[in-house]
Parts: sequence; C-alpha cells; structure tokens
Amino acid sequence: MVRPGELSVDSSTNHLRTPSRTVTLGRIQPQAPTYRTVYCNDRDSNYLVRLKCLHGNSISTTKYNVFTFLPKGLFEQFRRIANIYFLGISCLSMTPISPVNPITNVAPLSMVLLVSLIKEAFEDWKRFQNDMSINNSTVEVLQDQLWVPIPWRKLQVGDIIKIKKDGFFPADLLFLSSINPDGICYVETANLDGETNLKIRKALERTWDYLTPEKASEFNGEIQCEQPNNSLYTFTGNLIVEKQTLPLSPDQLLLRGCSLRNTEYIVGAVIFTGHETKVMMNAMNAPSKRSTLEKKLDKLIITIFCALVIMCLIGAIGCAIVTDRDHFYLGLHKKDCEYRNGLTYYLLVPQIAFFTFFTLVILFSTIIPISLYVSIEMIKFIQSTQFINRDLHMYHVETNTPASARTSNLNEELGQVEYIFSDKTGTHTRNLMEFFKCSIGGISYGCGITEIERGIAQRDGLKIHEEQRSTGAIREKGFNFDDPRLMRGGWRNEPNPNLCKEFFRCLAICHTVLPEGDESPEKIVYQAASPDEAALVTAAKNFGFFFYRRTPTMVSVRESHTEQMGKIQDVSYEILNVLEFNSTRKRQSVVCRYPDGRLVLYCKGADTVIFERLASGMDDVRKVTGEHLEHFGSSGLRTLCLAYKDLNPEAYDSWNERFIEAKSALRDREKKLDEVAELIEKDLILIGSTAIEDKLQEGVPTCIETLSRAGVKIWVLTGDKMETAINIAYACNLINNEMKQFIISSETNAIKEAEERGNQVEIERVIKEEVKKELKKSLEEAQQYLRTVGGPKLALVIDGKCLMYALDPALRITLLSLSLNCTSVVCCRVSPLQKAQVTSLVRKGAKKITLSIGDGANDVSMIQAAHVGVGISGMEGMQAVMASDFAIAQFRFLTDLLLVHGRWSYLRICKVVMYFFYKNLTFTLTQFWFTFRTGFSGQRFYDDWFQSLYNVFFTALPVIVLGLFEKDVSASLSKRYPELYREGIRNSFFKWRVVAVWASSAVYQSLVCYLFVTASAFDGKNSSGKTFGLWDVSTMVFTCLVIAVNLRILLMSNSITRWHHITVGGSILAWLVFAFVYCGIMTPRDRNENVYFVIYVLMSTFYFYFTLLLVPVVALLADFIYQGVERWFLPYDYQIVQEIHRHEPDSSNADQLEIANELTPEEARSYAISQLPREISKHTGFAFDSPGYESFFASQLGIYAPQKAWDVARRASMRSRPKAPKKN
Amino acid sequence: MSSNTPSSSAAAAAGSAESSAARRNSKRPKYSKFTQQELPACKPILTPGWVISTFLIISVIFIPLGVIYLFASQDVVEIVDRYDTECIPPSDRANKVAYIQGAANKSCTRTLTVPKEMKQPIYVYYQLENFYQNHRRYVKSRSDSQLRSVKDENQIDACKPEDDFGGQPIVPCGLIAWSLFNDTYTLSRKNQPLAVNKKGIAWKSDKEHKFGKNVFPKNFQKGNITGGAKLNPNIPLSEQEDLIVWMRTAALPTFRKLYGKIESDLHKGDTIEVNLQNNYNTYSFSGKKKLVLSTTSWLGGKNDFLGIAYLTVGGICFVLALAFTVMYLVKPRRLGDPTYLSWNRIPGGR
Repeated sequence: MVRPGELSVDSSTNHLRTPSRTVTLGRIQPQAPTYRTVYCNDRDSNYLVRLKCLHGNSISTTKYNVFTFLPKGLFEQFRRIANIYFLGISCLSMTPISPVNPITNVAPLSMVLLVSLIKEAFEDWKRFQNDMSINNSTVEVLQDQLWVPIPWRKLQVGDIIKIKKDGFFPADLLFLSSINPDGICYVETANLDGETNLKIRKALERTWDYLTPEKASEFNGEIQCEQPNNSLYTFTGNLIVEKQTLPLSPDQLLLRGCSLRNTEYIVGAVIFTGHETKVMMNAMNAPSKRSTLEKKLDKLIITIFCALVIMCLIGAIGCAIVTDRDHFYLGLHKKDCEYRNGLTYYLLVPQIAFFTFFTLVILFSTIIPISLYVSIEMIKFIQSTQFINRDLHMYHVETNTPASARTSNLNEELGQVEYIFSDKTGTHTRNLMEFFKCSIGGISYGCGITEIERGIAQRDGLKIHEEQRSTGAIREKGFNFDDPRLMRGGWRNEPNPNLCKEFFRCLAICHTVLPEGDESPEKIVYQAASPDEAALVTAAKNFGFFFYRRTPTMVSVRESHTEQMGKIQDVSYEILNVLEFNSTRKRQSVVCRYPDGRLVLYCKGADTVIFERLASGMDDVRKVTGEHLEHFGSSGLRTLCLAYKDLNPEAYDSWNERFIEAKSALRDREKKLDEVAELIEKDLILIGSTAIEDKLQEGVPTCIETLSRAGVKIWVLTGDKMETAINIAYACNLINNEMKQFIISSETNAIKEAEERGNQVEIERVIKEEVKKELKKSLEEAQQYLRTVGGPKLALVIDGKCLMYALDPALRITLLSLSLNCTSVVCCRVSPLQKAQVTSLVRKGAKKITLSIGDGANDVSMIQAAHVGVGISGMEGMQAVMASDFAIAQFRFLTDLLLVHGRWSYLRICKVVMYFFYKNLTFTLTQFWFTFRTGFSGQRFYDDWFQSLYNVFFTALPVIVLGLFEKDVSASLSKRYPELYREGIRNSFFKWRVVAVWASSAVYQSLVCYLFVTASAFDGKNSSGKTFGLWDVSTMVFTCLVIAVNLRILLMSNSITRWHHITVGGSILAWLVFAFVYCGIMTPRDRNENVYFVIYVLMSTFYFYFTLLLVPVVALLADFIYQGVERWFLPYDYQIVQEIHRHEPDSSNADQLEIANELTPEEARSYAISQLPREISKHTGFAFDSPGYESFFASQLGIYAPQKAWDVARRASMRSRPKAPKKN
Repeated sequence: MSSNTPSSSAAAAAGSAESSAARRNSKRPKYSKFTQQELPACKPILTPGWVISTFLIISVIFIPLGVIYLFASQDVVEIVDRYDTECIPPSDRANKVAYIQGAANKSCTRTLTVPKEMKQPIYVYYQLENFYQNHRRYVKSRSDSQLRSVKDENQIDACKPEDDFGGQPIVPCGLIAWSLFNDTYTLSRKNQPLAVNKKGIAWKSDKEHKFGKNVFPKNFQKGNITGGAKLNPNIPLSEQEDLIVWMRTAALPTFRKLYGKIESDLHKGDTIEVNLQNNYNTYSFSGKKKLVLSTTSWLGGKNDFLGIAYLTVGGICFVLALAFTVMYLVKPRRLGDPTYLSWNRIPGGR
C-alpha cells in the first residue's frame, strides 16, 4: 500500500508542471480527487474498481436499448416542432369540433413517426453491430501461466495481456515489458491525435523481466493511479512492486486505440477498461449542425402557419356572419340551443365562431406538410450514403480513401458555401518535402526548376525545355535533386570539397531522425518529427553519407567517397549534446565527437538566426548565400542555413557542465537551456543552405481557381510564417501580382522597438495602435479601390499577433469589412483558437456560409466553428475527421463536393421544399375555397382517407425521386462552369420571390381545379339526368388535383429518369386503384359511406373524362407559360448551359471525354502557377516545422501543453541508459 | 510521412503484389449508375419549338372537343321557372315565413310554354338556391348504418338534434332526412295530366346498397316542428327515391335534384300547367325555388361551361402559339448564347 502522503506529493509536483489546464481532445472534465488502486494479476481484489465500471471492457455507443427505444425515440421525434404541431392537431381532431375523422391526422403522423423510428433503429443497430465486432475481437490474456485468447469485452482491470505487432491495445495499459531488450516499444497514435510518426514508450526498468507467461504470472504489483479522465497526455501514478514505489508517467501508458508497431510483442497490465479508457472518455459527438436552408425552412413554416391562422380567422368571421337560425334545417333552434333565446342568442354567435376557428385549424392543417421533414431526411440520407460516400470521383486511390459524409444534415449547405477557411499544411501542401537545391560555400547547386519558376517563365512567354536529367539521377521520396557536380562523389572536384563534406556531415548528423528497418540505403525508413528533417537526411544518404543507425549516444554514418572515390567506410560519431529546436531559437545544434576525437558543433536553422551568429570575416559567403536564399525563397522553396564550429575540448567541458546543470534544473529548464545554448552557438562558420520543395497537393491550384470562379472566397489560416504562407498563397493561385495586397504584420519597426523595451503593457498598447492604424488605412484604401471600376482585386495578409488585437470587439467591424472586400485573405502564425475565432467572425458577423477544411488536430476548433467542417482523411490521422461533417481525401475533391454534390443537393432540397409547399397549399386551398360555399361551417371537402393519404401515399414518392435524381446540368458541366455555383451562394432557388411564384401557382391551380369542376358539375350529369352530390364533386376535384400535382413534378424536372415515370405514373395509378377498392367496399364499421361507389358513378359519365382532360391541362398551362417566358427572357445560368450542351449525350461517355481533355495535374498546376508574380519577392522562405509547434501556441494562449514524452525528436537526448547496442 | 509506416506502405504495395487481397481491402466504391448519378434521363428543354408545338397540339385537340361538347349541350332543351315568390298570394308577401308556416292552402298553378321540341324522357328537377346542404352540421347529421339495416336503427349518435323521439330512435334520423323537400308538382297539358314517373331517379348504388329494403320509417316527423316531407311508414327506405335523392347531399348551396321523369314528348308551343304544393320553407333564409324541365344529351343536361372552357383554352393556346412565335421573332435569342450567362453580363443580374 502506498501512503496517501506520498501520492499527494506526487500530485503536487504534477500541479507544478501543469499550472492551468491540460490539453484534451474534448471538453475538460474535472478530475476526481481520489485515486484508484489496481492489483495486477488478481481479479478478485479489483472488485471495487470493477464495481464502478460495470461493463468491463465492452463498449457501447448505441443510443437506445430494447426498453428505452420507444420512449426515448418518441421523445426525440417530438422535439421537432412540426411533430408537436401534428400531435396537437391529432388531439384536437378527437374532439367533437373536428370536421374530420381523427384517422385523417393520426394516420400520417404515425406513418411519419414510424419511418423515423425505423431509421433510428436501423442506425442504432449498425452501431450495435459495430460495437459487437469490436467487443468480440480477441486478445491474449494471462491465465494460469498461459496466454489464452479471450474477447476484448471480457478483459478486466488488472489483467496481464500480451499484444502482438500491429495489434491494437484493447484498453489503457500499463506497459510492463517488451521483447526489445531496452524495454521500449513503438506505438502509432493515429487514431488518437492523427500523428502518424511513431512514438516511443518505455517500460520501467523494474518490470522489464515480466515477459514470459511464467514470469509474468509472478507479477503482483499494485498500481495506484488517477481516476479515469480524458486528458490524453497526462498520467500520474505509482507502481508498487515488492514494497518499492515507482512513479509512473505517460511514458508507461499505452492507450486504447493506438497500435503496436515495429515491436514483436509487449506485455502490459490493464488499468482502465471500456468507457473509462482515455479515448472513450474523449469520444465526442460532433456538434450537430443544422443547415441554413433548414433554418430558412422554419421561417417558411412559420409563414405558412400565419397564413393558416389568417385563413381560419377569415373562416371564423365568415361563420359569425353567415350562421343564422333562419337556416332552420341546420337545427340550430333545437335542443342544444333551445334554452338560448332572445339576447343570449347573440352570445352564441361568437361562441360558434370560436369553435369554428379550431374546426378550420384542423381542416386546414394539411397546409403544413407533415411528411416534409421525414422526406427531406430520407433524401439527404440517401444523398450522403449513396452519392457522396460512393462517388468514384472523390475516391483517392493512393490512400484507398473514399469520401465520407459523416452527417447527412448539411448536404445542401455545401451548395451555398461562400467562404472557405483552409489550413495550409497537409491541406494545400502534401507535407511531403523534397530536397531540391542547395548552396554550399557560395555556390548554388541543383538544376531543377520549381513549378513556381516554371510558371513565372511561362507567363513571360518563355518556353522551358524540360532539362534532360543526367543519367542515373536519383529521385526518391524526399529527394528530387539533380546536379552532377555533387552526385556520385562529384563534389570532390568542386572548389571547396571540404566544405561540401561538412555540409553532408551536418545533414547526416545534426537531426533527430530515427532510422527504421533494414540498414541498407534502399530499405531504410526514416522516422522524423518533421518531413523536412527526413528530406535532409535522405539527401545526405544520396550524397554518400548514409545515416543508418542511431543509439542514444551514437550516430552511425556510412560514408563513401570521402578519402578516395568509391571507398566506403562506416563512421560512428558520438553525440554529446543535442540543442533542440524550438520556435524561439529557430535552430538546432548537435555537438559530436569524431572517432579521431575532433569536437564539432553542427547547427542548422533559419537564415536570420544563423547569420547573426557567424564568425567575423565571412561577409562574402554570407552575401552570396543570402542572395541564393532569396532566390530559393522566391521559387517557393523552404530554406535552412547550415553552419559548423570546431570546439576546443577544454572550453567544451566547461560549457558542458553548465549545460548539464541547466538540464537538471527544476525551474525554467527550457529557458535556461536556451541561455546555455546561446553560449556555444556563436562564431559559427557558414557552410551553406538547403532548399526544400514543399510539394503542393495534387490539383490544388486548379481547385482553388475553380472555386474562386464559383464565387467562393478562400482564406488560408496557417501556423506558418508569413513568408511561407505568402509563398504558398502565390503557388496556389490565391494571391497574384495583379492584386493589391494589404499586409498587416507585427514585424514593424514600431512594434519591434516596443518589444525590445520589454514592457508588456506598452507592447500591447503599441501593437493595438499599430493594428488599428493599419486597418483603418487599409480599409480606406480598399474602399477607394472598390469605387473605381475595374480596380484590382484585393488581398489581405495578417499575422496571428496582429489578429489577436484585430479581433478585439472594437476593431472587429473594421477587420470584417476590410476582409470581406478582399478576394483572398491569408492569416499566418495563427493559433487553433484564432482559426476558430476568424471563422466565427465571418459566420456570425457577416452571416455568410462558411466551410472549414483541415487535416490536423489544430484545425478541430475551426472545423467545428464553421457551418460545414471538412476533414482531410487518409493521409493524416483521425482527429480532424472525427470533428468534421464531411471527410475527403484530397483538397481538390472540394470541387466535386461543393460544385457537384453541394450544388445538386441545394437545388434538389430547394425544389423538394418548394414542391411540398406547393402541393399542400394547392390541396388546402381547394378546401379553403369550398369553405366559402358551405357557409364557413368547416365541412370537409374530401373523404378522410383521401385527405390523409394525399401526403403520405399519392404524392410522396415522386418528390423523393425528384430529390434524388434532379440534375440541372451534368457533373462535368457543373465543374466546367463553376460560376453556376453562384446561384447557390445567392440562394436563387429559395427566395421569397420563388416562394411567391409557387404560392401563386398553387392559388391558380387550386382555383382551376375547384372552380372548373364545381361550375360544370351542376346539373344532371348522365343521360338519365341524375345529379351529383358533394362526394362525387369532391372526388372529381381530388382526381384532377392528384393528376395535376403529380404531373407538375415532370414539368419542374430538368432530368427525367425512368424513376420519375414510374413514381408519377404509379402515384396516379395508386390513387385510382385505391379509389376503386375504397369506393367499392362498404366497411362494417359505423361510418358515413360517403364515397361509396362514387368513382364508379363518376366513371359512368362522359363528364368525368372531359373534365379529367381539361382541368389538369388548364391547371398546368399557367406554369408552362411562366416557364416558357422565364426561360426566354430571364434565363437562369444553368438553363443557358443546358442549351449550350443540349446536343451532347450526358453519360459517363461525356465524363470520359472530359477527362481526356483535361490537363494532367502537373500541367494544370504549372498553368496555374503561371499566374505568379514577375519580380523576385524579398522573402527567403525559411520554414521548419517544429515538433513543439503546438505547445508553442498553447503556451502563448496560457494553456500548458506538456511536451509529448514520446516525441521522436527527444529520443536522441535520452541519455539515461547505459550504452547498449540496439538489436534488430 | 504516413507512407513510411509499415501498414500504409504495405497497402500501397499490395496494389500490384496481392491484387486479390487488395481488391478485398479496397474501399473503392463499386460503380453503379445509381450511385454515380448517371442514370439515363431525358432532359427536356423548353425550346421555342417545344413551347409552340405544345400550344398548337392543345389547341388542335381542345377546339374540336369544345365544339362537340357545345353541340351536345345545344341539343338540350331546358325550361326553368322560379316560383317561390309567385306562389305566395300577394297579400301574404309581406310576411312569407308566416304564410309558409301557416295552415293555409299552399297550392299554386304555374304555366310553362315549351320553346322547342322536347323528346322524352323529360326530367323534372327542383332547384334550390342558398340552401346549404353542404353545411357541416347538416352533412354529418345522418346515420348510414341505420339507413342500411334494421339492426343498426339505434345508431343515432351522429343525428343530433333529430336523433330520437321520446327515447325511440327516429328512422331515418338526422337533419337531412328531417328537412326532406316536400313541394309537389302535378303536371298537365291541355287538361290532360302528364304522368311524372318517380321511379329510377336515384343512383342505383344508393338505392341498392345504402338504403335497406327492410328498413321502414319510424317516428319520423313527430317532433314539435316539422321539417319537411313525411314518409309513408309502410314503404321501405330503398323505395323512397325522393329521400334517396335528397340524401345525396349537394356540393354547393345551389343545386338541382331530380324529381321525376315525363315519359312523353313535348312539342314546341305546348303550354304546361303545373299545379304545385308550395310547402317547403325557403323563405326564412331567402332561398330560391325553381322548377326545371330538361331533356338530356349523351353528355347530360344543358351545361355549356365545359364546352366553352374547351373552346377558350384551345383558342388561348392558339393565340399563345402565335404570340410566342411573334415574341421569338421580335426578341430572338440564340439558344445557348453564352453572353446571357450572368457572369458574362454586366455585374448584377440574378
């Protein structure tokens, strides 16, 4: 047992380390103050813990179970206002004031509820099956000195289990031992945080031996640890083995959801199971979003409701006027009214009017389309699961990732996006770095031409011949360099071969990369914290300095051509110190000892920091290298400067003492380390610089160009430096030189001066002033440009620090109006929080529809803040995807997602909504007109069943087919004419004007159906002079209505498939069949046999057929004329496009043609880049993604994000262990 | 750097090596015309040609139909005589309601002149106006099950306020039956009585299925206030055709109901004497009463509405066809003219 005091000490030190909060994926949960004790290998003792976690290791993500399904599901359904409304109507219709049988309202409502519940049940069933398959996967657990496979769900706290290579951890485990002798294992945490580089976990030395089943069964440690919580990067606890207390850290924790890599097997003890695991505690439901269109739909529904109230008021007033005892046949003078005579009679009239009002509410309740929501839901569900998820155009072959709509609520929102907020890395760029050029000792090497340069040249009208690559040029991942002067030992003949040698050694030694796999140049795999690093090491390999092995103290390099051509020798350098990279230092150094005892410091970093620290007398090289850097930068390359310094052993030793001291400091360790590093990183000798190409994602410039033609404005929000961001913006065609750029940067002199003075309050004031001034000035200028016709487009570049102040409520409006006037906006150096703030600024401030796209954990907040969140799936991990509404594999698939699926969905949903509105209005209005002729009594016009089945049966399917198959123009044309998308941004199809057109159409059609039939049905209607009654007339009207309303679908469809014919014909036929059956039978129940035989009576007259031909034609004629005139005089854009391509067959053939004509991505990219600036920009494009990047921003925000203990980058500095050659 | 990890690089390599395994693991969606949204479809475009020819087709079909209908309607001869005011003695016209509710003799004689030859059968209708047979209170005040079978004679819930008499169910119950029309017409020509056949005036389905053969009127019209006609308690409901006709409630407050048939020809210039009993009270709500004699054609009675509608619509379509032709000539627009695209026009547009 641990003494409580000991644990509290531990937790207090923990508090020192975490001053405020820890970074978690989801909401922050208060940590339970107590701790739990887990007894390993002792199931019985753990009953206390198990009591709390009833389900063991089984998880359940279902919403309902068998018993809660009905109450909970119904409750969910009645949270919708429309369903409540119909429930109220149904209740009202049970009262005697109802003009209709309750079935009229109950039947459709139950139908709608049934469909929704079935859908819920189906989805929940799928979740359940998914859970079951997870719960039933097996894991080997220790039982009686044997590894026995059991299902995951039977796993219990305290169990000792064995995980094999590539297996997933079934629960949160305490890492006990590994087959690797140094007690480490590699885990992939992609499911957790999306990072795909491997992390190292290290078991406590004390437990290394518990590897075999025999030995492991002897293990009887006690684990005292914190209560389950959702903080992924923290863990505190103690392990008590044989009365010895050992502190535990996140290094020993293996989290559920991660998988074991590169390690044969490991053994661990279960600490948290099932829902108590950190990943499950973090499981968050993406916030449910409602589409803007749906919110507008609510407004429409409210308007309809108002119309309903007005109609009922008219009816009630009319009733008060008309109702009259003189109509003796109504029996008003009898019984119930007998005692009311004389004066009281006048009290009766308002009473009757009052009840009539509610009678009419029930009667006209059909004006609100009950099946609208459920139909839309069905349509959207099919759209997302069948169309978006299965679109071959959005399937990425290389990563084997199809698109995935994670919610079906937002399909039509995709058709109205006006602002896209995009992350840069991994979204625009592949985060795939290639070593492209370098400069050594003032000589520039590398003859490749970047795509950006090619673009510039092309725009200048120069033709670039693809230079013949020298034979045997190597091209591999991370390396795209060609220059015979350096390759294959050619550097030996260069003016400065020694400097070249230092250059290559610096590349091969000064890094924190971890080699994996076979130690041969072909098979080795470099694990690096940033892809830049891997590219540099790969470059060294190709230059003949093959880094193949790292131990905590050694770096082994296989060097060729050093002494003489062709000679190969393995050299091991002892790594004495690693001075890590961070974003303030902007550099990284390694102190190493050659086998011959030479002590060297290698350093690489940003040009500015390196140049400051050079030894004197290097001005020439420095100047030339500086020029090269500028050139590289303007070509869109990311640069780093390399330098070295020979160290004097005595000086080094004294420095090393101070270093060790700093390293073991308990307070401000980082700061002290930085200070110590400054002491040695000086008087450097410049070697040269590297230039790395950050490959753009395939098709990004084309996609961006297409989207901007579509009227979508793209903002780039990135954590990168301003220069890098601008570079990429140029490369992506977001900014070009014709644009007027407003740059608001915190790197101005005034701010710098203030910063040097160091007074926080003053700094803030100065920055605020500066930002305010800049914003005001820019806005004025922008407005001036906008007033002039044909002025340049505008672009805004702003950095995170300025943004912080610009987002201040006082300046927010200025920022917003400035940025809304700009075509492109680039925000650099922004934190995840700021990304979200900018997104909400536009979303809430400008009321525009926004979309955020990103791939990493730092994009989550932005993705959730926007109307639509899109995650890039496939390459990186799951974090962004889990928070997103749609996941696509590539940025370029946005074109398909927005221009094709979004536009179609928008169009379809608009049409569906309008059609629902129209068909219910038409139906209800015939009833309304009839009310005028019944003395406003609220008599129903149609039979109960006709009325209840109208919505759910006779007109339900065609509109769903419309919602699924409606296409104005084909997919390829949608992409070819991106401007068509603007109709969605302008919301052309869901305006009040459109509503008014449909409403007038409904008024007209209902009048035609009602008046024509009633006017002509007056006298004897067959040759034997018999007359029609009420139900004959109403059935006639109903028949005409069903036909007209169903045919209207065909008139409004732009593409009529077989399904249109089947459903439209089927609906009309269904009505007739229903009428034949329903009119042909007498039901045994007591009801008025109003419509008995009516249809047969009707069909026995010629009148029926004459009317049936006339009325629908007349009803649709007005719409036909309207459409004809509108198309001719005020054509929509899509109609013109239809006409342009009216003779083209629309099928996959056309698509194939399209693809054949399309430029290859490479060509397209170079074409797009041809819009790049002519003059050389002055920035040098330093960029070096640091592993500590996130924590840097977090600390700026006052949030402490602990350094991830398993970062590969830190692996090199782990010197705690005695030298032990790594077995492989 | 994801492809550095063994799993994904393996997935990439699998493409060539283990193609079958790769296919199994592939998440590539299967191609189908449905999911790729490439279902064959016809794409109608309302080109001028289509618009004009649609109009022409409609007019070509509708105009002849209209002509046929009108011709058929023209053949029908109809005599309408409003008698509600005339049949009240001038002295009583100041207070018609008192007169009609009084006990005075209500007989009245009207003389009609036949304008044209009328072939038999000639149908006798009564027409009421401003009578809300479609009022909600009225329409629901009946019991179909009671009408149909004896055993359901107690099902009178819907019939209020004419449901029972002293606890005994009224058959037929309800306001509709209670207010049965009770004017009677006796026709004669040159002092020769013209037989009016009262059989076969109701729809067969009503007569055979909705009104029982063994249901006899009971307690009918025994209340304080008499609504309308009385029924012979010895004749089953299925034979009471006046009641059956009356109970097929009319759709609108102006309606005609069949009274009987005259099964002999009437000649042009014949004068017909109608001796009627003006019993029915339409005066309290100022309703009109009319007597109608009409022949029928194969289309039914005289009704020009549909014919005129057909002709009008046909005519309008023809005019529209011309108008659209002129419109397209006056303001031509090349089909698919890209200059009409909003982004090619001056900023603005839709």
